[in-house]
Amino acid sequence: MSLLALSFTLLFVIITMLVSVWRKLDLEKDIAIGTVRAAIQLLAVGYILQFIFQSENVLLIILIVCVMIIVAAFNAAKRAKGMTGVVWRIILSIATMEILMMGLLLSLQIIDATPQYIIPLSGMTIGNAMVACGLFLTQLKRETESSKEEIETLLSLGATSHQAVQDVLKRSVKFSMIPTIDAMKTVGLVQLPGMMTGMIIAGADPVEAVRYQLLIIFVFTSSSAITSMMLSALCYKKLFTKDLQLKDWKSN
Amino acid sequence: MTPLFVLKQLTKKHWDAQQNYDLFSDITTTIERPERIALLGKSGQGKSTLLRILAKLDFIDSGEIYFNGQLMNEVDSRTWRTNICYVAQQATMLPETLKDNLMTSSKIHNRSFNEELASSLMKEVGLDYLDWEKLAADLSGGEKQRIALVRSLLLQPKVLLLDEITASLDPQSKELVEKLLIKLHQTEKIAFIWVTHDTEQAKNISERIWYMEDGKLASDLKTSEFFGDQSSFPTQVIL
Repeated sequence: MSLLALSFTLLFVIITMLVSVWRKLDLEKDIAIGTVRAAIQLLAVGYILQFIFQSENVLLIILIVCVMIIVAAFNAAKRAKGMTGVVWRIILSIATMEILMMGLLLSLQIIDATPQYIIPLSGMTIGNAMVACGLFLTQLKRETESSKEEIETLLSLGATSHQAVQDVLKRSVKFSMIPTIDAMKTVGLVQLPGMMTGMIIAGADPVEAVRYQLLIIFVFTSSSAITSMMLSALCYKKLFTKDLQLKDWKSN
Repeated sequence: MTPLFVLKQLTKKHWDAQQNYDLFSDITTTIERPERIALLGKSGQGKSTLLRILAKLDFIDSGEIYFNGQLMNEVDSRTWRTNICYVAQQATMLPETLKDNLMTSSKIHNRSFNEELASSLMKEVGLDYLDWEKLAADLSGGEKQRIALVRSLLLQPKVLLLDEITASLDPQSKELVEKLLIKLHQTEKIAFIWVTHDTEQAKNISERIWYMEDGKLASDLKTSEFFGDQSSFPTQVIL
């Protein structure tokens, strides 16, 4: 795509801003900031990736994956305002998932051990895991508040913290996986995924593109499951005081 | 002999966005042996909060609580709650069937389910007609309240903290529950502290009355003494 063609895509941003002005949505500032940030971030990433792909330095690959995990963790942690120590728990959950996923993909030689495969696939799975963490924490908060009586009933019967919230955790993990499972069910029928579309536009064989997309979908499913379950195991004790009393989330 | 319960200068603060104040303060009393206590007082005095504190479901801002000579903070919460069980005013049914609810404490503590005891308790509270496979959510309010009591009794606690547990029961069911709890006190030496607004019930079920007023334990008397002195301030208020 030429730079001139790329600049024409700003028309879509202008249309969105005009709609915002017309309907008084007051989104112009956010759209402008978002547009500039997206352009700078993606261009920067493009150059960084180009450099890493050329250098093929393992430490650089690890560094960029670590940065992705940390940024994802800070972003997902915004969903758990009031809960302390959640960032490192998300980092641990996503990092474990990344090691497992990449370990399997590389050891089974499903993908080549080159930055061209490792970095984009890591980015996509970490992004998906970030969404799953955010959804899990949002739902955990809602469920804990709405099931307070249920949790306290179990506590009053002598339940452990895990016994008291196991149904709440189960429902929250399930909720965090809904988008991934729904996407898996409707892929190809409702939507053509970004990566597959990108490969086809770039001239790849559609069947080859589909194979990679299937790989992504299957990796997404287990990455959501592993991350949410691990995060639930790391987070549930934060819902209670040391005397096993249910905390008010706000004072958590 | 070690008293069953010792409450020393308990204070609980109420915090909200507008203000904070003492919900109650300086509550000091002793329960020497398993007793039947009715806890009376107007709404908002902190009666339910006191029960929740005694069940370790809520925290105290200051003071000390001893059970059988052991300081509350030094006893593991699960052990504490296995001995001292709180039954809430709003009976919360746990997911799935009535049987699942009855089996809760056996599952939690990895014990075998005492079906015989459960059947007998269900009969004594007038619920022997219920199908145990029925979904707990489909039961009536009165049925839920009695099942919540049976569920707690199956834990076989030493002390029951009862928060208006007969508030939504018909007179016959209420009487059955009262009789069962008095019987359990006599045969199993189960103590209870029962929050109620029903003075007749307080007279019938208790040996001792705690009366809360203005954030204090204003009166702590034998039931006969409390209701005997018609001129006393709390009695006048209540009657």
